[in-house]
Amino acid sequence: MAALLTAVRSDYSQVMAISSTDVIADESTLIQQAQRSNAQAFEALYRLHIDKVYGICLRMTGNVSEAEDCAQEAFIQAWNKLEKFRGDSAFSTWLHRIAVNSVLGRMRKSKREQDRIMAVTESAPVTVTTADTGDMRDLSEAVDRLPQGARHVFVLHAVYGYSHDETGDMLGIAAGTSKAQLHRAKRLLAQQLKQQGFEA
Amino acid sequence: MNDDKLMKAAGQLSTEISPERDLWPDIAAEIEKPARRRWTPMLAQAAAVVLLIGASSTVTYMVTSKDGGSGPVIASPDMVFEQASFGNRYSLGPGFQDARNSLVAELDFELQRLSPESQEDIAINLKLIHDAIFDMNNALEEDPENLLLQERLLRTYREELALLRKVSGLTRNIMMRNDI
Repeated sequence: MAALLTAVRSDYSQVMAISSTDVIADESTLIQQAQRSNAQAFEALYRLHIDKVYGICLRMTGNVSEAEDCAQEAFIQAWNKLEKFRGDSAFSTWLHRIAVNSVLGRMRKSKREQDRIMAVTESAPVTVTTADTGDMRDLSEAVDRLPQGARHVFVLHAVYGYSHDETGDMLGIAAGTSKAQLHRAKRLLAQQLKQQGFEA
Repeated sequence: MNDDKLMKAAGQLSTEISPERDLWPDIAAEIEKPARRRWTPMLAQAAAVVLLIGASSTVTYMVTSKDGGSGPVIASPDMVFEQASFGNRYSLGPGFQDARNSLVAELDFELQRLSPESQEDIAINLKLIHDAIFDMNNALEEDPENLLLQERLLRTYREELALLRKVSGLTRNIMMRNDI
């Protein structure tokens, strides 16, 4: 019986490996088709990646409406730049960078708009994600209340796992500044969470 | 919450979040708009060529206008040379115009050195050429981009110029014999 189970598990893992390869192959095909202006192929890529792109936009802006606009803009920019994608990095990484630029671009647009985003962030209920529950939801809301610079670094480094070099590169800051902002973010988060009754 | 716990908790935050509404229709509407014409190097080169032709034409027009060249050039009481034209969109270069005007200006003097028969032959040939130029110019005004017409008109102007040079060459030979 044990041998049978092992065999079944082994076969299953092979099937998973094959289907995973197929997904990558499919994505590669979709990219090639989209590069030839095939909007249907691009829609399939959108369906594959929208949650990741929207996720980073929402984490960085802390506002649903702004995150929707940034995600839309990111995909429109991706469509316009698609012919330049050579596959040097993963497509998802390439999209992430575009999404981060989209967020930063919107925030740079004008001081007035930045103020508006901050005002909305401060007054409206922050990141509403069904995925985060309990303590995670509290942490998520605390992250949304961080100052912009500290929030961006914390999201890219601590949540999405980018190195300080990568984070700095994406945000247009030095790796050292990224480290300093992370330190600041951790200190502010610890203060917030302590006030909410979380202890080490 | 200490740093390690905080970082571990942050790593567990969801990185994939579904938007509350489908964003694709707005994206599709944007990307399916008619593509704006991109400023490619080829387009830039084409624009530069058009500018160059335009500038050249303008200069030619100004030069010929200043010389009072908009009217016909009279070579002799019997022969009138219309100002060289090329449809209503293009004009011939100043080099050609100068060479032609110079030859036309000398034509009356040159013809007097030739026999009456030769003069008559030349007049008949020039009239044929001028009639053809007139017809082709009219046709080009209707169809300015007709490459075949443009080519034929250019060739006819070249024939006219060749004939005028031939007349000039003939009389030069006569003068050389007289000198001897």
